[in-house]
Amino acid sequence: MIFIMGFLESAILLGAVIGIVAYLTWLERKFSGRMQSRIGPYLVGRPHGWLQPIADGLKLISKEDIVPAKADGLLFNFAPAWILVVSLLGFAFLPITANWVLVNMDLGLLYFTAFGSLIVIGVFTSGWASNNKYALLSSLRSAAQIVAYEVPLLFSLLVPAILAGSLDFMDIIRAQKGYWFITFPVIGQISFLIFLLASLAESNRMPFDLSEAESELVAGFSIEYSGMKFAYFYLGEYVHLLAVSLLVSILFFGGPLGPILPGGVWITIKTMAVFLGILWIRWSFLRVRIDQLMMFNWKILTPVSFIVLLLAGLWVNLKAGM
Amino acid sequence: MAKKVSKIRLVEAIIFSLWITLKNLFKRPVTVQYPIERRPIPERWRAGTFALTTDKETGEENCIGCKLCERICPSDIIIVELEKHSGRGWAKSFVLDLQACIQCELCVQVCPTDAIVMLRGMATPVARREDFILDKKKLMENEELFEAAWATGIKLQKLHEPQKAGEKS
Amino acid sequence: MEGYVEERIIEREFGELALNMGPQHPSTHGVFRMKLHLRGETVVNVVPDIGYLHRGVEKLSETLDYDMLPPVYERDDYLCPTANSLAFVLAVEKLASIEVPRRASYLRVITAELQRIASHLVAIGTFGLDLGGSMGGGTTLFLYCFRDREKVLDLMESLTGTRFHTNMNQIGGVRYDLYPDFAKEVMELKQYLEKLVDDYRSMLETNPIFLERTRNVGIVTQELAKEFGASGPVIRATGIPYDIRRSKPYSAYGEFEFNIPLGTIGDVFDRYLVRILEISESLSIVSQALEGLPEGPVNSRKPLKSALLLKPPKGAEAYGAVESPRGELGVFVVSDGTSKPYRLKLRSPSFSNLALISEILPGNLVADAVAILGSLDPVFGDVDR
Repeated sequence: MIFIMGFLESAILLGAVIGIVAYLTWLERKFSGRMQSRIGPYLVGRPHGWLQPIADGLKLISKEDIVPAKADGLLFNFAPAWILVVSLLGFAFLPITANWVLVNMDLGLLYFTAFGSLIVIGVFTSGWASNNKYALLSSLRSAAQIVAYEVPLLFSLLVPAILAGSLDFMDIIRAQKGYWFITFPVIGQISFLIFLLASLAESNRMPFDLSEAESELVAGFSIEYSGMKFAYFYLGEYVHLLAVSLLVSILFFGGPLGPILPGGVWITIKTMAVFLGILWIRWSFLRVRIDQLMMFNWKILTPVSFIVLLLAGLWVNLKAGM
Repeated sequence: MAKKVSKIRLVEAIIFSLWITLKNLFKRPVTVQYPIERRPIPERWRAGTFALTTDKETGEENCIGCKLCERICPSDIIIVELEKHSGRGWAKSFVLDLQACIQCELCVQVCPTDAIVMLRGMATPVARREDFILDKKKLMENEELFEAAWATGIKLQKLHEPQKAGEKS
Repeated sequence: MEGYVEERIIEREFGELALNMGPQHPSTHGVFRMKLHLRGETVVNVVPDIGYLHRGVEKLSETLDYDMLPPVYERDDYLCPTANSLAFVLAVEKLASIEVPRRASYLRVITAELQRIASHLVAIGTFGLDLGGSMGGGTTLFLYCFRDREKVLDLMESLTGTRFHTNMNQIGGVRYDLYPDFAKEVMELKQYLEKLVDDYRSMLETNPIFLERTRNVGIVTQELAKEFGASGPVIRATGIPYDIRRSKPYSAYGEFEFNIPLGTIGDVFDRYLVRILEISESLSIVSQALEGLPEGPVNSRKPLKSALLLKPPKGAEAYGAVESPRGELGVFVVSDGTSKPYRLKLRSPSFSNLALISEILPGNLVADAVAILGSLDPVFGDVDR
């Protein structure tokens, strides 16, 4: 019985996430269009292009599935599926309202980071299996980038855990009942910024999206994919972004806590605000180069995240001592 | 220009870029949704198709078959045949291939009788390539299609006459 | 197959990755093929390959009359059409000793400077695309620049009838005259663009990402620029003040006051800075020209009837050069007494500027390679002619 309930719950969550993610692509196109003095999609499903994601999905499904002759068949097909599945798995541990989590682990934060860092396998497998120099260059770049940015990501993730005293998401939410973690004087804001930048680098978003740089390496590691497999890369990236926005709103902005409205509504508002902020950053900045990216990580982000972590530990000890 | 920029200016620049995109988010987009809305065509627009005109008073064709437009066209798209009767020349046939036209207006500038004009309208698409090759009948019909452009032959020639200085159209 | 074998040889013998940024690429500014030899991400050698857009313009012009040629030459460097036809018309006027009325010279200056603004806006917009990619902040800069360029093109459309290949220049003067509201519209455009240029400059010049991508990248020294015959913003960014409008003034440029923006070290940032400062200078030249516009005819030859075809003296040669947005664009004409030229040679600025990449590209990363190519601003209609 519990098995069937769990199955139903996970099916509903899966469907909801994929549906929301499809409409997040519509939101991005409209939002970026308005920022560039133009209208986004508007013809399919007038007047605002509501049906555009469905039209895109139908188009991509109906395309011919081309596998290059010299590509490694098994790995070629495995990579996009891996990316989508692993990104979706991260959702299993995130609370959606104040009381409902699909899988309530007491080490929820740790599991989330573990699944988040498995994505890199899909990225460089697709680059290798495509048998294409552009894909190889881009997947090497992105493997280096993702693995490097995990260090500040983890350290800045640990700051709310230390301030709350546990790795469980429910405890972290409960610990923010008085004031949100972002309002802590130096620790909260800096660790929020570091976490945001590191997650942007992890999901290959601007200004760190060198691996899909369309002006240098045309489409990067997804260059040889056509049809629905290409859509999987795209969807996987947006699912990861949605998970990251949800995570940021839980860890730093208090999640479902808020004065009047129910928890589900607050968490939606906060997640959407963070997501829009990520879009805004993408469409305003130019791209950094690979060596500047690495320098930014190892020389600036990592030391600062160390210091912030130490400060957070110091603060908790001082508070416990008083 | 290799001076060091202070850290405050760097942060300020980042915030300024974000501010510019945010400002544009709330302004009206500049897109004109063609073909539902169309932009106004300016007065001197000339890139429509061509037409052969007729004299307003007598109703005769203006073209005297002098073949000057055929001579001057850089892309060689005009072919004219001359016949003389009734005291003046006429164009027996006049074929203009619109596919290769580079819209240079030299044929209009050369014409002594304002016979060939470019039209002030948007070029209309056709369904077959053969429809781009305009014969004399189609060119005479085109006169009803749009109004003629601002620059006709005689007007352009008047602009160039060195004696009539100061006369502007 | 031959390219494939060549790549395998390079990889086996030298241990370098042979990457082909082929003729179809989102950021090579046209049809241009670069064969890069990479070691990791660093470019070790580059072999450029041009000729994909060769249309045989020089041979074609031996079969057309002089009066038919200005519209043909506008297609040569397709981002600044009036500069090309102006160069040709200046050369032929020297050849046949034709005087141009003063009003026509001023009108030529106005249209040339407006096209310079449009061309520099394209250069900056596509530079943003190269740096930031077509999915991100670069697209935002690109779309803003093109939205502003539309205003300049609307002005050209109201004046001449077509937006771009305007066929304004003719032998002996210009074809059209102004309409009464022209000065007012130009003043509105000037106010709009000046504010925007300030916005772009403060958005980009202190932006840390932009500075890191463009400072000290692709440095062209003064000796290198002189050796390769570079001209235009490329040589002015190195510090040498070579501008044909100042050194050999043509067509009434000697009567205007303008500054020549110079760079200091000749990197990508300096080239961008020279271009954006030139936009402000062009606006000031246009307003000076409009204030001092003399009365008079716009063309000094009799109206164009083919009975009066131009027949320059036999054996005469002339060279006319203009400062196009890319550099020194020159036309050398030789006549043999008939109404068709005997030989025409185009000196194209993009060809000489592009030759610099074999010197400045090696040693940089792939990302910088694209930025450097974009900053040299080649137009392949001009390189291949």
